[in-house]
Amino acid sequence: MSRRVLLHVGCPKTGTSYLQDVLLRNQSVLREHGILYPAERFDEHFLAALDLMTLPWGGIETEAVGVWDSLAAQVREWHGTSIISHEIFARATPTQVERALASLGDAEVHLVLSVRDLVRQVPAEWQENVKHRSHITYERFLRTIRDPERDSRIGSWFWAVQEIPDILERWGSSLPPEHVHLVTVPPPGSDRGELWRRFSRTFGLDDLPLDLTAERENPSLGVPETALLRTVNERVTSIIAPPDYRPLVRETLAHQTLSRGVASARLGLPPDDHAWARRLSREWIDVLAERGYDVAGSLDDLLGPDAGTFIDPDAVGADELLPPALDAISALLVEAARLRAVEERLHEELREAREERDRARRTTTYRVKRKVVTTLEGSPAGRGTLDAYRRLRGRKA
Amino acid sequence: MTTSGAGRVHGWVAHLRAGGTTPWRAWTGDAEPVTRTVPGAQQLELLRRINSAADIPVPTALADRVLAAPAAGRGKADLPLVGGPASSFGPRPVDPSLVGPHELLRVASVLLADDLVELGPDPVRATWARPWRRRYRLVGDPVVTVAAREHLRGRGRPEGGPRPFVVAVGAPLDVLLAHTWTQRCFENGSKPWGDWLRYWRERDQLPARVDLLDSVRRWDARSPLVRVVTDLDRLPRQVGVRHLPEVRVPGADQAELARRVAAVVGLRVPAAERPALMRTLQRRIPDTGVAPVAVPPAEHAWVAASAARLTRHLSRAGYPVVGDLADLAPHAAPAAATGPDDQQVLDLAIAMVVDPAWRTRRTAGHTTEGQVER
Repeated sequence: MSRRVLLHVGCPKTGTSYLQDVLLRNQSVLREHGILYPAERFDEHFLAALDLMTLPWGGIETEAVGVWDSLAAQVREWHGTSIISHEIFARATPTQVERALASLGDAEVHLVLSVRDLVRQVPAEWQENVKHRSHITYERFLRTIRDPERDSRIGSWFWAVQEIPDILERWGSSLPPEHVHLVTVPPPGSDRGELWRRFSRTFGLDDLPLDLTAERENPSLGVPETALLRTVNERVTSIIAPPDYRPLVRETLAHQTLSRGVASARLGLPPDDHAWARRLSREWIDVLAERGYDVAGSLDDLLGPDAGTFIDPDAVGADELLPPALDAISALLVEAARLRAVEERLHEELREAREERDRARRTTTYRVKRKVVTTLEGSPAGRGTLDAYRRLRGRKA
Repeated sequence: MTTSGAGRVHGWVAHLRAGGTTPWRAWTGDAEPVTRTVPGAQQLELLRRINSAADIPVPTALADRVLAAPAAGRGKADLPLVGGPASSFGPRPVDPSLVGPHELLRVASVLLADDLVELGPDPVRATWARPWRRRYRLVGDPVVTVAAREHLRGRGRPEGGPRPFVVAVGAPLDVLLAHTWTQRCFENGSKPWGDWLRYWRERDQLPARVDLLDSVRRWDARSPLVRVVTDLDRLPRQVGVRHLPEVRVPGADQAELARRVAAVVGLRVPAAERPALMRTLQRRIPDTGVAPVAVPPAEHAWVAASAARLTRHLSRAGYPVVGDLADLAPHAAPAAATGPDDQQVLDLAIAMVVDPAWRTRRTAGHTTEGQVER
């Protein structure tokens, strides 16, 4: 029987990929210390979230059948602390939250929500949209999420996973405030290890001998790189299916190539949107302070950095797009060459298999048998004879 | 969350659970909460419409299923009711009667998918294979070939065997495209009709089952063992029988509903089990008389050019033709409805939730004496 469950439900773009990778790679160490992170693959808890929330996701959902129930069963059976973590749980509806909490049995549930200021989350979410096939311009994206109707798919998703007080109402309203833990992402310029220290404290991982090497992160892109990817999406989203888009565009182009442009300008908010985000954040901070949650870090971190120089990604010129575009062409050519090598190897293996088959067929007996079968196959009577022979032979065998 | 309006909301929930049909705007009664969470406007309005469509009161168990069903996919979260308990956060409250059919369908498709999974796949009719049967392999028009394959298997004439005739079933290309999308909806699901067409048009390619030349070549068949059939009346002879049953082409509303249901079924059963379940739905889905999807005028030029190219390539390949390759040219009726209408799809979905006959009746393909299930 699990005594304690740490349920980390969001938010996206708050260092969750790194945390989940550390947890996965250190499963055995964690187990030795009574902590269960039940996952056989990196995206197991993502699949559990798709299953819990009935979310089709470009075909991946077919791998999610029954994953939430299986995850919950493992948690119920564990004697110590269990950790469940994925950022899209933030989107769950009250009914789904109720089902999720009920399926964890009588364990003491602690809700963890890692949060970052809107000033950085808004541009980061636009980038995520662009990395997920969208070609919406930044200007339209900002207009969409500021529309109070939240009618669009992008707007409703954004607020479902980023409106911190609402997420906590949905997930935390049945829990005592001291069982709700906010982990704030430190402001820009903070020590690189600070976010991990906050996670570590909240999840009770301090003093454990964990391998903290960063193997998997969800890197951000610079302004020209994101602008290029958006432009590419305009051309390819309708003609490249999600199973091809994921490895070719998101992995090869965005994560492995364009995210290397570390010298590129980072995306921020236009002055008016910056002021709006700050205003909203201040309201949220007041509400969260009143609710009395446990906070790792400071609620003031949610206010976000001051406005910097804004570079409009919708107005990036061709000369700025050219360098990342050449990098992209180069990366895709290398990938195409790799795939050609794979294809060539497969052809070679097929050729060898056929040669082996033909060698086996070169005997006189085989050639005679083949001639007889071909002749018989040409008429209904012959086919009947052959079939009878095969049945007889099958029975004798 | 304040308690303002909470009593009225719970009153309406109780009213709907009891089979009520009063719209939210007209509702005035209060009740104590029965559950901690209040369903979204999508679930509540769908239940109200189900109650309105039902001749007899809807069982409470079904009402509770409707209220607990999630809205599938990445659309809106569960929406609060305008005039209900107010929160400063979350989506804006709505008048449920104004929630569009698209949103209600997200919930209805989950109910139907769960019904289908509970029903399980119909047994496939099969009988012992006749030794003298003509060996064939069917490619091309999937609505025709899937039905024919199933019928022939039940008659002891399964597909395959040594040196089969590859029979490529053609049709006017616009029809072939519509049939292919429709059949995909009843297998593993698909993109919406318009997006799917655009995908192929922008790639300037044809889907695997529409490209007859590619379909034939994939089986590595030599020319004397290939038949390209454009005259469906002559198809039975090509597979060694006198008659094939008439093929029922699903309407646009049926295909669109199946497309949505397939997406949810993909989250409920292993991938390999989905096609059999969806074929079960195809056999059992009620007829509504709505026309099948048709290629919209914006795509006609591309379809015509693709048909001409396919005809050219088939002529050059020199395969024997049963019929006339000119019949591959599109012949879209200009007045035909081109795509599914959400309201029609919702009406069908509600009818299927209300009336379980589609789940309870035996289908023509059920196993009979002397046959085996495989």
